[in-house]
Amino acid sequence: MNCVIAFQCSQGWRKTMSEQRYKLHWITAVVETVKALKDLIGPFIVVVVVNGFKSESSGPWYFQYWSAILFSILLISILVSGIIKWRRFDYWFEDQELRIESGLFVRKKRYIPFDRIQSLDYTEGIFHRPLQLVKVKVETAGSSSGKDAEAELTAITKEAAGRIEEEIQRAKKMKMKIIGPVLQQNEELVLVKKLEELVEHPASAPVKFTMKTKDLLVLATTSSGIGVILSGAFVFLSQIEELIPFDWLFGELESFVKFGVFVIGIMIVLGLLLVWLLSVVMTFVANYDFKVALDKNDLVITRGLLEKKRVTIPLNRVQNITIAENPFRQLFGYATVILNSAGGTGESSRIKLFPLAKRDRVIEPLQELFPNVDFSEPSEKIGKRGKYFYYRLKLFITFLIVVAVSYYLFPYGLFASLLLPVVFTHGIWQYKTAAYAIMPKQLTMRYRGISRHTVFTVKDRIQSMEIDQNYFHRRKKVATLTINVKSGMSLDAPAIRHMSEEKAEQFLEWYEYHPESKE
Amino acid sequence: MRQQLANQISRKGLSVWRVYGSILSLIVLAVGIGLGFLAYYFEWPIWISIVVGVFVVLHAFFSIYLFPKVRWERWRYEVREAEIELQHGLFIVNRTLIPMVRVQHVDMAEGPILRKYGLASITISTAATNHSIPALVTEEADELRNRISMFARVAKDDV
Repeated sequence: MNCVIAFQCSQGWRKTMSEQRYKLHWITAVVETVKALKDLIGPFIVVVVVNGFKSESSGPWYFQYWSAILFSILLISILVSGIIKWRRFDYWFEDQELRIESGLFVRKKRYIPFDRIQSLDYTEGIFHRPLQLVKVKVETAGSSSGKDAEAELTAITKEAAGRIEEEIQRAKKMKMKIIGPVLQQNEELVLVKKLEELVEHPASAPVKFTMKTKDLLVLATTSSGIGVILSGAFVFLSQIEELIPFDWLFGELESFVKFGVFVIGIMIVLGLLLVWLLSVVMTFVANYDFKVALDKNDLVITRGLLEKKRVTIPLNRVQNITIAENPFRQLFGYATVILNSAGGTGESSRIKLFPLAKRDRVIEPLQELFPNVDFSEPSEKIGKRGKYFYYRLKLFITFLIVVAVSYYLFPYGLFASLLLPVVFTHGIWQYKTAAYAIMPKQLTMRYRGISRHTVFTVKDRIQSMEIDQNYFHRRKKVATLTINVKSGMSLDAPAIRHMSEEKAEQFLEWYEYHPESKE
Repeated sequence: MRQQLANQISRKGLSVWRVYGSILSLIVLAVGIGLGFLAYYFEWPIWISIVVGVFVVLHAFFSIYLFPKVRWERWRYEVREAEIELQHGLFIVNRTLIPMVRVQHVDMAEGPILRKYGLASITISTAATNHSIPALVTEEADELRNRISMFARVAKDDV
């Protein structure tokens, strides 16, 4: 540490000698330990089970209890490493940068310039809340090196988090002063005012969206849970179906087998019900008190009952907006609104802006948040020529499966042929859903996998555009159009399949540069 | 119907693909011979050997002759002032349009076989996707790369 400071002194141009270094809160050690323990539960159970069955009572004591010894060593080392992680973690502000040093033997240094910081995301877990602490995730303008540029402060006090925000604001203000001496006077006043606002009333940003308890309940009950229920019903039906051959096959074992199947069926249904209830509770807890606020040019999403999360998305990082309606929710007029952001990694770049809301009520707040996007419904259909491409190949593959199943499981396998009309209807449904609208500066695309997606993308956010045609497409002059949009470190590629070739080429023409229409 | 794109990739690219195909075919042939020996030792039914033999021959035909030919004939590109357009594909023909303002960087690469033929490939990266033009004559690739990076310099970083 000394040498670092000495080095800084020798630089000469430093104004102050050494900056104050901050530590994380001691709860960090606990959080890190618990996190490590959670990862260890699986192997622990495996070892206990294996050992429980073998239980040899011969040999020296250290051989008999090897697993217990191993695990206590592991436990202690995890605890120690948690403490070390906390003790050896420093962060401070220097030279317009947030600087972090961590690690015992290998000191890892990470310096993040303030003007590269896009947002700070806060999470308050169950360990944080009684002590008024937060976990802070620093999001930077995504460099191509993946998640390397971001940093995480496991637990700091809310005042400390406020201090970081303050530093960032001050740094940005300084920069303004240096760069723009012309507009400095007024600009500075405004900035100072904003800074005060930010520090004094952090919660005063206008709230644009809240989730009603009723909507939250609908969300919880219809999320992945509905799939579980359906598959449960399917399993139960198939059980009944299987009762018939069992009856006929084992005459005397009949009652026994029947009973067994019945018990297993009940168990499975109960298990699925439990899983579903669990998922309902988890969704409810995770999205409790869901709020979207607009803080200057940032969207601030807060949610959570036990673990409070606060995510900040700069509006200018939003790449496109998707309204998704799964068939179930579409039936009741509900929709989910999803944003693709250029920042964040993995899941955090695809953000549920409105987890669930009435379809006719999402447009108004969306329009308010994104005034330059046109949220009208797409009206252009894709043309009749593509229609049979939506079901032909799928029907063919299903047909092969049906033939195989019918042949091997002769009488009952024939039930599989019920799949054919289902597949056909699904294809027609997809065809009927597909639509688009080309506006001067925006594309709207609508397509269906199972859920209906309506994607609104501004022209400047489309990275590239593709047309794909296989042999049959070329013969019928049909094409699939895909647009590529950045989503975190990866790609979001909405596509309209099997549209007529001329219409797909309209997209390309629209996307091409036209000198006369240059603004 | 849009116009056919102006440029094709180097004729030597076809030879390179044939070399790749030959290498692959040799590997398949080696596996086929191995299977033949196994069939002989363990007295497997004769049709297994026949199927393997037919497969090896067909594979060689497709991967050395037919596929490279179709691919080469289909590969076209055009670098205009404001955008790059590519067309390629064996079974599925893909046409891609990349505006210059979206190009983030251009990479050039030459592997050992490509270099022997005096060829190089170019990869164009946007914020979300990568697109490559294979088998260009090295000078042409150099020139193209410079041109793209010159055009792309006006790009504004707004993701």
